[in-house]
Amino acid sequence: MTAGDVYFGICERSVTKARALGAEWCDVAAGSARDIEVSIEKSGIKAADAGQGESVSVRAFVRGGMGYMSASGTDPRDIDEAVQRAVALAKEATADPDFVALPQPDPAEEVEGRFDDAIAGMGVADVVRIAAANLEAGRAIEPDVLLSGHVGLVVGHGALASSTGVALVTEGTHIDASIEAVLKRNGDVGYFYEFDFGRFLADCTLEKVAESAVRGARRFLGAKRIASGRRTLVLGPLAAYGLVGAVVAAANAESIQRGRSYLCGKLGERIASPCLTVVDDPLVPRGMRSGAHDGEGTRRRRITVIDRGTLASLLHNSYTAGKAGARNTGHGTHSGGISPTNLQPALGSRSADEILREVQDGIYLESGDIRPDSASGDISASIDFGFLVRKGELVHPVESAMIGANVFDLLGNLDAVSSDARIEPGLAMPTLRIRDVQVAGAE
Amino acid sequence: MEDLARHLCELARKRGADFADVRTLHRRASGFLVQDGRADKLSGALDRGIGVRVLVGRCWGFASADSLAPRRAEQCLDDALALARASQDFVSDPAMIARVEPVVAVDIAEPEIHPAAMTVKEKAARLMEYERAGRAAGGDRIVNSVVSYSDGLREEVLVNTAGTCIRSTACRAVCTAFMVASDGRVLQRGVENRGIAGGAELLARTEPEEFSVRAAKKALALLEAGPAPAGRFTVIFHPSITGLLVHEALGHNAEADHVWAGQSILEGRLGHQIAAPAVSIYDDSTLPGEFGSFAYDSEGTPGRRRPIIENGRLVGLLHSLETAAKFGAEPTGSARAESYDCRPIPRMTNTFMAPGDVPFEEMIRGVERGIYLEEGHWGYVMVEKGQFICHAGLAHRIEHGRIGEMLRDVSISSLTLDTLKNADAVGSDFEMKMPGMCGKDGQSAPTDCGGPHVRVRDVVVGGQRDR
Repeated sequence: MTAGDVYFGICERSVTKARALGAEWCDVAAGSARDIEVSIEKSGIKAADAGQGESVSVRAFVRGGMGYMSASGTDPRDIDEAVQRAVALAKEATADPDFVALPQPDPAEEVEGRFDDAIAGMGVADVVRIAAANLEAGRAIEPDVLLSGHVGLVVGHGALASSTGVALVTEGTHIDASIEAVLKRNGDVGYFYEFDFGRFLADCTLEKVAESAVRGARRFLGAKRIASGRRTLVLGPLAAYGLVGAVVAAANAESIQRGRSYLCGKLGERIASPCLTVVDDPLVPRGMRSGAHDGEGTRRRRITVIDRGTLASLLHNSYTAGKAGARNTGHGTHSGGISPTNLQPALGSRSADEILREVQDGIYLESGDIRPDSASGDISASIDFGFLVRKGELVHPVESAMIGANVFDLLGNLDAVSSDARIEPGLAMPTLRIRDVQVAGAE
Repeated sequence: MEDLARHLCELARKRGADFADVRTLHRRASGFLVQDGRADKLSGALDRGIGVRVLVGRCWGFASADSLAPRRAEQCLDDALALARASQDFVSDPAMIARVEPVVAVDIAEPEIHPAAMTVKEKAARLMEYERAGRAAGGDRIVNSVVSYSDGLREEVLVNTAGTCIRSTACRAVCTAFMVASDGRVLQRGVENRGIAGGAELLARTEPEEFSVRAAKKALALLEAGPAPAGRFTVIFHPSITGLLVHEALGHNAEADHVWAGQSILEGRLGHQIAAPAVSIYDDSTLPGEFGSFAYDSEGTPGRRRPIIENGRLVGLLHSLETAAKFGAEPTGSARAESYDCRPIPRMTNTFMAPGDVPFEEMIRGVERGIYLEEGHWGYVMVEKGQFICHAGLAHRIEHGRIGEMLRDVSISSLTLDTLKNADAVGSDFEMKMPGMCGKDGQSAPTDCGGPHVRVRDVVVGGQRDR
C-alpha cells in the first residue's frame, strides 16, 4: 500500500463519518510533507533543519454554510474531533443559497513530472553539498561577499475524497535554492538575490545561484538618486511576472462576484494593450503549479485569462462557478480559495535587448513588487532593484525612487513584450515595456 | 510534556550535544468570517508537535514532528544531531549560546473571556452586528463587507539542557473589518484591525463605531480623494505610519542576527548618534494585553523593555541567546518561534517611538508644502541597504501650515538613516494600534507598533501626478 493509499483511506473514512453526522456535502484532504532545509549565513552554513509533518483538513457543508477544520498529524482522536467540529461549525454557519455543489468526479491522468525519485532520495548531505557549492562559487567571484539564504527540498504525498465520489491520490517533489549577496565597498552597498527551483533536480542549476546573486550585487553598487518625471518603464522578467501574476490573481471570481476587485465588470472588456496575452496552464509537464485536478478535485484545463488585452476568463472554484452558472476553471484550493497556476504570457517579436535599446529615458526594473491595490488598482511601489536607462543603456542603479500609477494605465501603456523570456518549470517570464509612467525621485 | 522534554535533553547531552532545547506545542484556534450578511465560513485548527534543537560543535541542527509520541520525539533528537554533524565542515561562523541562569516557571496568561466561554453563535452574532453597522454607515455605496475574527490558545513547554523549564499558556485574538465602497467609477476600501494578547474580550471591548463604521467611512472618504503627487516632500507621519517606520525601517535592522551577519545598516553603529536627538525607540514585550506581548520568549528568556535608540543614539539590539553570546551582550528575550516546527530567531514585539514635546498643530504650522500620511497599512525593508517602504491608506496635502485636500492611498520610500536624522519634530501624542503578523525567514510573529506624530524632511512620495 502506498503512502497516498493510506491517506486516501483516512479521507474516505472521514467523509463517511461527516456524512453520518449530518454534513450534506463534504470533502477531506490528507497528506504528508518531509522537508530538509540548510540555511546559510555570513557565507557559511548556519544550521540544518528537517521536518516530518502530516495533516488532515475537513470541509463540511450544511445548507451551503461551510465548516472547515484542519489538524496536524494523523492521530485518530484528532481526526475524529476535526470531523465532528467541521460538521458542527457547518450547522452553525448561516445558510448560503449561492452554494450549489462540490465537484463531481472527473478522472484524468496526472500531469507528467510531479515527482522526482532523485529529489525523494536526497538526504541532508546532498543538500549541504549544494549549499557548499554555492558558497564556494560565490566567494570565488568576490572573496569578501556576504552570502545568506537557504537550500531546501520537500517530498509530499496526499489524497482527496469527497461525498460526490472524488477520489484522488497525489505526490510531488520540490527543491529550491535562494541566495542573497551583499558587497560592501567604501560605504556603498550592493545587494541582490537569486533563486532557482523545480520539481525535478535535472531541471535546476542549484549550484549556480550564488554566482548569479554575486554578479547582481556587483551591478547594484553605486546607486544614485534621480529626479522625478514621466519615464518609460521596462520590467525585467521577475518584475514583469510579479505584475502579471497580481493582475491574473485579481481575476479571482469570488472577489469579482463580491464586488471588491478592480476587475469588477471587466470580463470581456479591454484591460490592457493588445500586446498582452496571458495563458494559465496547469498541465505543463514538470510545471511548478501543475496538476490534473485542483484542490477540490475539479479537472483542470488550460485557459486564456487575458487575450490580446481583453479579460477573457475569470478564475473559478466550485462555489463561484455554481453561483455564476459558469464553467468551473479548476482554480479552487481545498480551503475554499482561488489561485492561479502556471502563467505563460505570449511572447512578442523582438528581444528584451532590442526593446530596451529603444528607450531614451527610462527605468529598468530588474525585480520588484508592483502590486495594485485590490480595490482601486492604484500602484505606489518602490524601485528596489532598478536602473536609470538613457539612450538604450543602463546608466546606474537608482535609490529612493518610486512608481505611481493605476494598473489600467500601466497595462494600457504596455507597448512591447519580449520574444525571449526567463523560463522556470511551467512558467515563462518575458520582459515588458510600458510608456509614460510617473516616477518619483529624491533628487 | 515536561518529562518527555527533560528526557530528550538528557539524551541530547549523552549523545554529544553541547546544548539542546525542546519545545512542545498544543494549539487550538477558531476563525469566523462574515461577509455580505452571512456567517457562512467558520473554521478551526488543532495543532500539536515537538521541535528539538541541538548545538553540536560548530553548528545547529533542528528537527520537528507533528506528534508528541516518545518514539517520534526521540527520532527528532537523533535527526537533529545528525543534521548538525552533517554541516560541521562548512561552518564559517561557529554557533554559540549565551550562558544564562535557568528559569523554572509556570506562566498561565488567562484571558478575561476564554475563547470557549463564548459560543459560536454568540461570536458570529457579534460579527454580524459589526458588519450591519458598517453597511448602515456607508449605505448603498458599500458594495462588499467582510468582518473576520480569530482566536487561538497555545499551550507550550520549553526545556533546555541549562535547566530551564517553562510551561506556558497564552491566548491571542484578532478581528478585522474590511469595507469596499463604490461610486460607480472607482472602488476604494477601508480596513480596521484590532488584536490583543487575550481572548474573546476583544469582541466585548470593540465597539462598531470605532471599528466597522470607521472602516466604512474611510472607504467612502477615499472615493472623493484625488491621487497623491510624486516627488520629495516634507511629510508628517500619523502614529500608525510612525509605527511602520520604527518597525520596518529600524526594528528589522536592529534584529541582532541581521547585524551579526553583516546584513544590517546598523552594523558597527552601536553607541553612535544615528537619529535626531528627539528620537527614542523601544521594543517592549511586557505591555499588558498588547498583541506582541509575552512573559518568556521561545528560549525561556524573560521579556523586557528593550531600548534601541535613546535621544538619537543607538543603544541596543534585539538578541537571542546566540546573538547575545556573539556580541557579548545580555539576552533581551527577543527570540521567537512561530510554532514547534520553527527555530527561534530574533524578532520584534511591540515597537514604538516615545513621544516628544511638539503639539500636532505646531508641527503642521511649520510645513509650507507637504503631505500628511495617515492609516498605516503595510511596509517592508531591505535591511542590507536600509531602504524601506511604508504604505499609507490615505493622506492629505499640507499647504501653508494647514491640512488641505484629501489624497488616495500612497507609499513613501527612503533610507532608514536619512529618515531618522531628518525627523525634525516628534509629537507629544502617542498611539499604538497596529497589531499584525510580522514576517521573517518564513515565520510569522504577532507584533504591534506605534508612536507619536512625527515630521520628517525629504521623503519620496510615490504618487501618480506631478507636484
